[in-house]
Amino acid sequence: MPTFKLDDIEIPFEKGETIIQAAHRQGIEIPHYCWHPGLSVAANCRMCLVEIEPGPGQRAMMLDVLKWDAAKNDYVVDRKPKLQPACQQMAAEGMVVRSENSHFVKDARAHVQEFLLVNHPVDCPICDQAGECRLQDYYLSEQHTPKRMLDEPVHKPKATVFGDTIVYDAERCIACTRCIRVCDELVGDHMLDLRERGNRFEVVVAPGRKLEGDYTLMTEHVCPVGALTSSHFRFKARVWTLKEIPSICPGCATGCNMYIDVDLRELRAYRNRPRDNEHVNKFWMCDDGMMTYLRESEGRVLKASVRKESSREETTVEAALERAASGLKGVQKGWLAVLLSAQASTEDNFVMVEFARQLGAPLYLSAKGPWKGDEILRNVDQNPNRAGAVAVANNAKVGSLKDLLHAISAGQVQAVVGLGTDIDADAESLAVLSRVSEVVLIAAHDGPLAARASVLLPAASTFEVTGSFMNVKGIAQEFRKALPPKGDAVPAWDLVARLGRAMELDLKYRKFKEVRAALAVLTPAANPERVPAADAPSTPPAAPTTPSTATNP
Amino acid sequence: MEPVDLDFEEADLELPSEPMTLLMGPSHPAMHGTIRMVLKLDGETVQDVDIQPGYLHRGFEKMSERGTWSQVFPYTDRLNYVSPLLNNVGYALAVEKLLGIEVPRKGQIFRVILGELSRIADHLTGNGAIAMELGAFTPFLWFLKAREWIYEACEEQTGARLTHSFFRIGGAAFPPTEKLQSQIRSILPRVLEVIAEGESLLLKNRIFLDRTQGVGILTKEHALGMGASGPVLRSAGIDYDVRKDKPYLTYGECDFDVPVGEDGDTYDRFMVRSEEMRQSCRIIEQSLDLMKKIAPGSPEDAVSITDPRIVLPPKEKVYSTIEGTIAHFKLIMEGINVPPGEVYGYTEAGNGELGFLLVSRGGGNPWRVRVRGPCFFSLQAAHDMIRGKMLADIIPTFGSINMIGGECDR
Repeated sequence: MPTFKLDDIEIPFEKGETIIQAAHRQGIEIPHYCWHPGLSVAANCRMCLVEIEPGPGQRAMMLDVLKWDAAKNDYVVDRKPKLQPACQQMAAEGMVVRSENSHFVKDARAHVQEFLLVNHPVDCPICDQAGECRLQDYYLSEQHTPKRMLDEPVHKPKATVFGDTIVYDAERCIACTRCIRVCDELVGDHMLDLRERGNRFEVVVAPGRKLEGDYTLMTEHVCPVGALTSSHFRFKARVWTLKEIPSICPGCATGCNMYIDVDLRELRAYRNRPRDNEHVNKFWMCDDGMMTYLRESEGRVLKASVRKESSREETTVEAALERAASGLKGVQKGWLAVLLSAQASTEDNFVMVEFARQLGAPLYLSAKGPWKGDEILRNVDQNPNRAGAVAVANNAKVGSLKDLLHAISAGQVQAVVGLGTDIDADAESLAVLSRVSEVVLIAAHDGPLAARASVLLPAASTFEVTGSFMNVKGIAQEFRKALPPKGDAVPAWDLVARLGRAMELDLKYRKFKEVRAALAVLTPAANPERVPAADAPSTPPAAPTTPSTATNP
Repeated sequence: MEPVDLDFEEADLELPSEPMTLLMGPSHPAMHGTIRMVLKLDGETVQDVDIQPGYLHRGFEKMSERGTWSQVFPYTDRLNYVSPLLNNVGYALAVEKLLGIEVPRKGQIFRVILGELSRIADHLTGNGAIAMELGAFTPFLWFLKAREWIYEACEEQTGARLTHSFFRIGGAAFPPTEKLQSQIRSILPRVLEVIAEGESLLLKNRIFLDRTQGVGILTKEHALGMGASGPVLRSAGIDYDVRKDKPYLTYGECDFDVPVGEDGDTYDRFMVRSEEMRQSCRIIEQSLDLMKKIAPGSPEDAVSITDPRIVLPPKEKVYSTIEGTIAHFKLIMEGINVPPGEVYGYTEAGNGELGFLLVSRGGGNPWRVRVRGPCFFSLQAAHDMIRGKMLADIIPTFGSINMIGGECDR
């Protein structure tokens, strides 16, 4: 692989890569605003300027400049090299690039940063971006001089509503055009554009339109400053109080990697953010996926309940498990059906398959019906784990919910034990379930099936447990526990194992890692790679390099 | 007790006794807050003593790891709480050493002045306590009266009497007020007068002399072996003062003497502290002159550096400019980004060498803050000063070590 030198570090690159791309891959960030690894190069922020040494035999392109000389109290003639934007300059073999080592570069960045802050409002205390804002980071690392312009800054529209999800503040905007490029390049719909020039510029929505579609929140996600804010997250939380938990979007079969940002004091999820994964979602997520943090806590099953004649009675999990076990014990072998769930994790389904195998029960799968997919990320199948549920069945036949209803109509099923309450059939057809003596359901969310359950057990949602999904491409991916289970909920695999033990089956699983270990042996393909917890450092912190000195301060 | 054999002549009998165990403290007024001594007494003679500190342990070092570098200052106030400004200075200098920065000259002189005022307050309290513990309550009250003047001067400068949290990484919270010169110059002669008055009551007093001279002797070797420093070490005859031997701030420019004792007894410790107060007054006088010589408006005429990565911007800039807001936000929320490294910064505090071993792994929080509290090491030497002496001698001897719980137990 060819290499170039960046501040005395050898950086390998592939042909056609820019300096900033190659450095980014090596974990070296050259300061930038407008460049984004997933978008085209705009080279308009000028923050990533670097000095490139002339090649052998070439002359450096030098510019005549006037430089302030404090001693003479006047400008003096000076020369400086022509700097190049690292985001646009292709890397070349043997190139020598200076970034942090060049005072010309440091000067240029300080001046760029100073210009960006000239008209910036004093908004940090009320800005959602504060704490993860590049203007803040680069002020301290690149500029660190006080304000010199004492005139009134230019005022522009604040809190412009772009659409249902995005609110725009023109005063905070730095015209990097990332949001415009997201609309153009990710969605292919030119909804946003830049109006005016100089310090009057403003991002505007195309006339007669509003910012709409399935990827509007990505415009906010790429905004390096606080110009675009999400109307859901706006003024809700301060980012430094949030802890990021690596997770997988439960919204559809694509399995986008994401972070859940959780406030550990309130034990509440405040937002989702895409987690970069070039094999799955690259840098992006759809709006529905971004909003799964709200859906997660809505319509939850929080208490165990049993049906008594026509009414439903809440009870403890233990009592409900006992009731379910005694009801199922009377069912003859072969007359029990087991329902897996395409919404539940691979581990939950795995224990359920084990349960079914020991009872010789046929497998069926509950799932949500199809939704609107697209060519970008959204899969038509809105179930995150259909592939995982089928994989753990290990070649056993897995019927659909419709097949189960047919079997019930045909009088082949006396009782059903199932995960989840979702259906991909029409609600009327569920009436046949009344012919079944016992319907035991383990579910996190209330759904159409829940009303038919004779025993309903509360399961933890996918935000509340560590587990895994297998996406439509067959990639098994782990998500980690972000919140404690709500109400009486416990992990579904635990409920299945306890039910099995109450029915005197051999289901020994008491710890999650036992389930994982068994899964790794029986269905290695469905066993995901572990993702590191957010607080665990990927590499141990470097040992102090400066030797201890014993000279006096 | 052994039965008395009636056949013996009464004159042959010694009073039979077993060593008695006596628990002294931690809640004993003479135990300076919270120290427990387990004494083994033979009559009134101390056969053995086990000194048990730790009752004031608050986890200073661990707490420091949780906050930002700047948030350690209030904790340092509570180390030796009789001279908090000296602790502030010690910690600030250690972090500045790690950052590789130096405070402008005026700030350095300001640190010397307030630090030396604190030292006088510290020694007044320590010497007053020795006298009080021997029954001489008047000098103690006089010394505290003088300490009050110093506290008033400190309050004028820092806004607080005791827990100042005044110095900052890179400087001080505020520049000196207009009263600095006049107020301090007016109190110094009065403080010196009080010290002389107090001594006049004690140094010709038979009881005071008998109970301090030749009592609680600490030999040179033992003092060195135990790592003692400050007045305790100097009273044993070793001429080591960080201000003189490894000058920091503007101490190198000041003309002052380091008093050294001969016998290492309680009397010498009292006298060393007394003399140090007089020397501190000299340092303050000279420093006030040095400060006057600084040309107004010159780069030297500032108490803090202006780098927004280290020092908070002025409040009016925080409220009116985005640059100020950002700097303030980053320093408060994330802390000063101290480069990775390890440093030992040490200064002469009231009780001796106050050391801060700081380890940074980058970022806004200290990775490790280790404090060398000087009186912990003096306390180590206390066993041998007490052992073999009378029970009543423990109190002035222990008082003369000037053990401060906050600094010893941390």
